[in-house]
Amino acid sequence: MSTAMPTLEPRSAQDPMLPHPAVIQSIKSEAYGISTFSMAFVDSAEAAAFRFFPGQFNMLYLPGVGEVAISICSDPGEPQVLGHTIRYAGGVTRAIGRLRVGDVVGVRGPYGSSWPVESAAGKNLVLVAGGIGLAPLRPVILSVMRQRDQYGRVLLLYGARTPADLLYSEEIGRWRDGGIEVHITVDLADENWKGQVGVVPQLFYRIRVDPKQTLVMTCGPEIMMRFVIYEALARRIPKQSVFVSMERNMKCAVGFCGHCQFGPTFICKHGPVLNFAAIEPFFGKEDF
Amino acid sequence: MTPSLPRVAASVVTAKASLQKVFDNLRVSGFSLVGPTVRDGAITLDEITQMSELPVGWTDQQSPGKYRLKQTREPQYFAYSCGPQSWKQYLHPSRLSLFSVEKENGNWRVQPTRNLSPRYAFIGVRACELSAIAIQDRVFMTGEFRDPHYARRRGPIFILATHCTQSASTCFCVSMKTGPRAAGGFDLAVTELPDNFVFEVGSEAGSEMLRDTAWEPATAFDLGRAAQACARAEREMQRQMRTDDLPRMLYDNLDNPRWDEIATRCLSCTNCTQVCPTCFCVTVEDHSNLTASAAERTRVWDSCFALDFSHVHGGNIRPTIRARYRQWLTHKLASWIDQFGVSGCVGCGRCITWCPVGIDLTEEVQAIREKAFK
Amino acid sequence: MAEQASWYGSFLAKFSPRVQEKLFALAEGFHFKAGQEIFHEGDSSLYLYIVKTGRVAVELHVPSKGRRNIYTASAGDVFNWSAVVEPRLATASVRAVEDTEALGLKGGALMDACREDGELGFELYRAITEVIAARLIATRLQLLDVFSVGEK
Repeated sequence: MSTAMPTLEPRSAQDPMLPHPAVIQSIKSEAYGISTFSMAFVDSAEAAAFRFFPGQFNMLYLPGVGEVAISICSDPGEPQVLGHTIRYAGGVTRAIGRLRVGDVVGVRGPYGSSWPVESAAGKNLVLVAGGIGLAPLRPVILSVMRQRDQYGRVLLLYGARTPADLLYSEEIGRWRDGGIEVHITVDLADENWKGQVGVVPQLFYRIRVDPKQTLVMTCGPEIMMRFVIYEALARRIPKQSVFVSMERNMKCAVGFCGHCQFGPTFICKHGPVLNFAAIEPFFGKEDF
Repeated sequence: MTPSLPRVAASVVTAKASLQKVFDNLRVSGFSLVGPTVRDGAITLDEITQMSELPVGWTDQQSPGKYRLKQTREPQYFAYSCGPQSWKQYLHPSRLSLFSVEKENGNWRVQPTRNLSPRYAFIGVRACELSAIAIQDRVFMTGEFRDPHYARRRGPIFILATHCTQSASTCFCVSMKTGPRAAGGFDLAVTELPDNFVFEVGSEAGSEMLRDTAWEPATAFDLGRAAQACARAEREMQRQMRTDDLPRMLYDNLDNPRWDEIATRCLSCTNCTQVCPTCFCVTVEDHSNLTASAAERTRVWDSCFALDFSHVHGGNIRPTIRARYRQWLTHKLASWIDQFGVSGCVGCGRCITWCPVGIDLTEEVQAIREKAFK
Repeated sequence: MAEQASWYGSFLAKFSPRVQEKLFALAEGFHFKAGQEIFHEGDSSLYLYIVKTGRVAVELHVPSKGRRNIYTASAGDVFNWSAVVEPRLATASVRAVEDTEALGLKGGALMDACREDGELGFELYRAITEVIAARLIATRLQLLDVFSVGEK
């Protein structure tokens, strides 16, 4: 038998599968079928101790129904109340959609890797989001705005299916005021829309950044991210400067159930934020 | 005067009948013995108390998709290879209640389930199986997260290993460097000779269990015969698998046409993942009572061959058998190395024997290698 | 000429200086007011436009659904490529969404010039092909409706 693996200090002795009750404090409808649920742990010590980094996620649990992995979309600087933007897509998310303020949800986390916000210091940041992919990038925007002078230009390229599907629309003005250059587009528009129409990767034609001084962070449908990467690389942004947030089926979020594997990568442990250069051989492989 | 107990690392010889005393010593010490026994035409694992419950006089004949038991003329206790079951069903049970939640007036009470399990003594653990246990130890106990259920069961296990003196046609432990001799990780290891047992003492606990067995230090002659018996297992080994170019070779061949060919045979039946001693994938089930005032979460074995295994909103990432077989094989032989530092395969051959269409992964790996794009 | 080329973005930058000069000789400046219809689907395509400032919407009329805005062109973008592609009829209607300034290259004269000057012809059609290819890729993504629930 080969040499022993180094043992890491375990995060805690408790079963990592145990949920911690949290109370829903507010529910905000963002778009048709999408709402943001803000919650706080019932145990005030847990609420006070919780910390997370932009890009991480929690497992939200409803007894008898199931669990779902949801990115934390709120401000990492205010971790006592945690926001989760949820799209009603399956049994668990629809059950969460029927909850009211004051109801209890099981929470465990935070899990996963985070966006490399610190290593973007002094550089330009291009955040490219599609649909609900803006949710895990919102904590980056809020963190950056706290220390805006630490970064170069910060751009948000964001698109959704239709104008009604754009998330956090009332915050965009605040973000622009906070020094974020925001470019919005939709796939499909009505006569009232005066903004851009076209797919998110096309927004790269609207901007010009120094590729050597820029990091790209993108989250959205995988096919969208594929074309975003294409546009970024076409503009000579190095592969190591491109970060994606990937999604796979998750049952445990702690690397034991095997469901979230993407090649050797456990999306729950090594991801969801991944460096494109590291996963390039597997990214875009069909049915992988 | 001979001490009453041998020291650790010593080798001793006993009469075959003394094995019952070892069993009795274990039971008196509070262990529940689990070992191989004949049931339903196969050698399965079950709780035993008597050495007569072992498959004495039986051997197995294994080939792709085929398993048969045959009686032998000599009354050997360990003259067979792995059966369909592995020790993972005791360390990583197929069903495990995790916790229950009771809701009252909007308040929750989360109650971790007290999963009691006996202190097991595993009897007749083969070298490949020891490697498999060591691999699962890495998976569950060395990462950022620990599985407390696995750790709790694993700690008190007593292992009485057996060095293989014969191999099935589906075995390839030599290629995977996991056998036929167990290198360590046992309390006692026995080599069966025609007339007696040679015991290797692996720990103090192992030494204790040899009390009153009328053991004698093994002579050079005994050790020579034991070595020869294991050498025979090694010589007889029919299958091999080249591993020096893994994981790279499989990573470079994700579009190899061989996957399409395998997909015409594989039924995606999940047998291989069930019999494999290292496969660990699980899912969770949630049940509540009629008033939804109480619910329970249970962990159950899952398989990457299940269609829904890779389900994401509205679809499955791996909708074809080709994709799912590729996932299993590249995980087992390639990704596993990057994840855990060792191969996920121990060469036990169970997946070959128990595949209903007889897919042989040693053959498939070679076919992929030969069909690789240059 | 080079300074002018820079704000027309990457389309004009693709051409050699000699070809750029020929293009500017065939160019006219256009101003469209917000809401103004620039041309209608089926009209003869007269000018190949490059947006300098502002935004135009490319629209198709769908019976019982009305005008659908399927693409917007902003600074640096090309629209009405059908001015240099037979049968030289507009494949969609285009309306200015904002006050827009654009450079228009006369399609007929441009095609005549291409017949005489092979290098101009090659460079123009190579550049137009790249525009149409990028448009095609974007349209495919729109077609796939990637944001719908139920898609991967």
